[in-house]
Amino acid sequence: MSEHTGAYDNTDATTTSASTDASLESRAKTPQRGPKRWLWVIIAAIVVIGIVIALAITGRKGSDTNTASTNNADSTVTIGLKLAPTNLDIRNTAGSAIDQILIGNVYEGLVARDENNQVVPAIAKSWEHSADGLTYTFHLNENMTFSNGDKLTAEDVAWSINQLIKNQYHDADSLNMVKSVAADDDANTVTITLNTANSNLLWTLTGRPGLVFDKDAKYDAKTEAIGSGPYTVAKFVANDSITLKANANYWGSHKAKTATIIVRYLADDNAAVNALKSGDVQVLAPITENLAEPFTADSAHYTVKAGDDTDKYVLAFNNAGEKTSDKRVRQAIRYAINHKELIASRGGSDKALGGPIPSLDPGYEDLTNLYPYDLDKAKALMAQAGYSEDKPLQLSLTYANIYGTELGDQLRSQLQKIGIDLKVNVVEFSTWLQDVYTNKDYDLSLVDHNESHDFYQWADPTYYYGYDNKDVQDLYAKAIAATSDEERDQLLAQAAKVVSEDAPADWLFNYRVTTAWVKGVNGFPVNLNQTLLPLYNVTYTKQ
Amino acid sequence: MRFVIRRLALFAVALFGISLVVFVALRILPGDVASIMAGLNSPPERVAALREQLGLNRSLPAQYADWVSALCHGDFGTSVLTGRSVGAQVGARAQVTFPLITLGLLIAMALGIPLGCAAALARKPAVRAAFHVVAIIGGSVPALWGGLLMILLFSRGSGLIAVFPSQGFPQAGWSDPGAAMMSLILPACTVGIIVGAGLMRYTRAALAQTAQSDAVAMAMACGMTRTQAILRVGLRLATAQLVSVIGLTFAEMITGVMVIENLFALPGIGAGLITDVGNRDLIAVQSELFMLAAFFLAIGLIVDLLHRVLDPRLQSAGDNAEVNA
Repeated sequence: MSEHTGAYDNTDATTTSASTDASLESRAKTPQRGPKRWLWVIIAAIVVIGIVIALAITGRKGSDTNTASTNNADSTVTIGLKLAPTNLDIRNTAGSAIDQILIGNVYEGLVARDENNQVVPAIAKSWEHSADGLTYTFHLNENMTFSNGDKLTAEDVAWSINQLIKNQYHDADSLNMVKSVAADDDANTVTITLNTANSNLLWTLTGRPGLVFDKDAKYDAKTEAIGSGPYTVAKFVANDSITLKANANYWGSHKAKTATIIVRYLADDNAAVNALKSGDVQVLAPITENLAEPFTADSAHYTVKAGDDTDKYVLAFNNAGEKTSDKRVRQAIRYAINHKELIASRGGSDKALGGPIPSLDPGYEDLTNLYPYDLDKAKALMAQAGYSEDKPLQLSLTYANIYGTELGDQLRSQLQKIGIDLKVNVVEFSTWLQDVYTNKDYDLSLVDHNESHDFYQWADPTYYYGYDNKDVQDLYAKAIAATSDEERDQLLAQAAKVVSEDAPADWLFNYRVTTAWVKGVNGFPVNLNQTLLPLYNVTYTKQ
Repeated sequence: MRFVIRRLALFAVALFGISLVVFVALRILPGDVASIMAGLNSPPERVAALREQLGLNRSLPAQYADWVSALCHGDFGTSVLTGRSVGAQVGARAQVTFPLITLGLLIAMALGIPLGCAAALARKPAVRAAFHVVAIIGGSVPALWGGLLMILLFSRGSGLIAVFPSQGFPQAGWSDPGAAMMSLILPACTVGIIVGAGLMRYTRAALAQTAQSDAVAMAMACGMTRTQAILRVGLRLATAQLVSVIGLTFAEMITGVMVIENLFALPGIGAGLITDVGNRDLIAVQSELFMLAAFFLAIGLIVDLLHRVLDPRLQSAGDNAEVNA
């Protein structure tokens, strides 16, 4: 093509130079360069872009060495998590992302939980309760301080819990049985008196209700946090990242081993995996199991581990619903679900779960044999209820889009075999909250109930399950009133079995979180790390 | 001048209409921020108390009036969830999105316009077809797939030529310009290639059209080659059209790059908007949508004004009508 234009140019030049008109001639000369000019523009553009890239690369290298040198001076670990908190207001805003990052790191509770979900000392070093289970006395540690330097006293503890009850902050209803909370500064104790015995009290205090705040501090709780934990919040960007710095005023034994911890929230699973691969984060929790394969294979550089958790993927049946109030239909669905297949397709780490209580909670017992995968039984039950593959039952399944579309598709194809025509509606979480949770307008719903100790859902007929069984309610009330753990566990196990037999829901699996980290990272919690992530022990030495 | 005033008046009326539409449309969505804040397992009384506290149970006209009067004072409101001013939030996110789309658009122009010219100039059917295929392939690549391809080819960690970071924006933001720039290169190239293919088709079509015009024929009669005539006369005539296309593309890209922002884990405007809608943080969403709409309109206005600068005939047709007569 260039030859072509070249030839034309020549002829142009000869013809126009013959012209006597000066203006025409001056015009004619410039076109000679015309065709080449745009070529020059392209070349210039490429060169400019090239320079920019080159500059950026060198700039990047410069900054890399910078961070490397500061790494030696004061250590940094970058962690990739998934669900981001929208603010830090732990007293008002729901969501386990806030618990995960703040409890045990920035705020501390009267008591805490260990990685096996057992209650351990925190602000209180020991405690005892009266024989009737109505009075709990907590003996506090000495010389405790908040990150702003204020003393942490029994006053602060009592004030925090009393404020929670008075202002009905998040989770306040779990302390409904509390009569009074009193501080004795001289004895350095806090006494909690109850109206009725409650075997859940200690565990409840490991969560938000037990957190201790500085009663004299004034700060914007949505964007700042002042607590007594090993870390302070240095920078918070909503939905994006949190930077934690070691608390210079920390009083206790969980002193931060790493000076700076940067937490990045990576909503996209692929981006998260890329961040780990490129070394932008050293730990990824959770990593989608199906994407973890390259890291598992490369065990020289990465460690991949699944941890126990209390996440229950609950396929709830609307027990008050028109079609699902028929127990035979609910049982048929439970028989028809191939849990092994579901778990295998997700990577295989998740654990089968046959009832409402997961292995880390009190009262757990393996109930998976109650409803084994049995298509014949399922079909027979459906036939009794008046449905078959030729005359299918129309049901809808509503769940939030955060769980992906695969589960819905799998359930639809599994239930098709027993004559259920499942319509899957994947909606936004807020729509689910409104339609299913609040208005109870649904047939089937799927949600990850990740809370621990949440059996009360099955004893509350107004909960969105609409499950109403007097025996379960009685057993649960007794379990709560129990004054010994053994008694409580036994009653809960009994109640859980009744619930599972009634088939008010199917428990698809107990989700186990897979965590991956590069070699050199130590002390990162694996169990329960989506709700409870104490970071004081985490260290990273570049390999 | 009269033209500018008329356009500004239209601009104001349109903004008012938009504010109304945005406000009403968001109120139709099911769910609210109070139930998100309260979360699962909290008693209905708590949701009701939060609703009261956040002012969600006031009458809709009152809420609208408050919002609009604040807007008139340049106050975009405070997000219920994050507790920060919506203006500042959008500002922070714009620091990612605007450089990204500007860079993307520059890449698109650097690719699309020269290729479009070349396609218009090509005479051999085989060459024209080849350009056509390039444009179609480039334009039909899904953004997600294109981005993944870029990551597989060039990203640090997993790429064949491991150079660029594949996700995230540096913590330090633009105070670390090298790192910030690096983090935008792969996403900007992805956007640039896709948008560039569209621009290439527009350029080719616009040039093909002007190539038929009398002006080009005249230029050739005066002794220019076809190539010269198209590039010097035809391209000049097509500029106005291309400016419109580029202006609108730029505005569209603000939300259009959302998929890319998600894929590369960049905290941009589009990604933020989705989060806010999901959380039903309506004050934030309505102000964000309003700002976007205002920006769209402003781009339209600028494009119109540019047209008049680029094409003197429009001016003589409008303000100086009496001179012609």
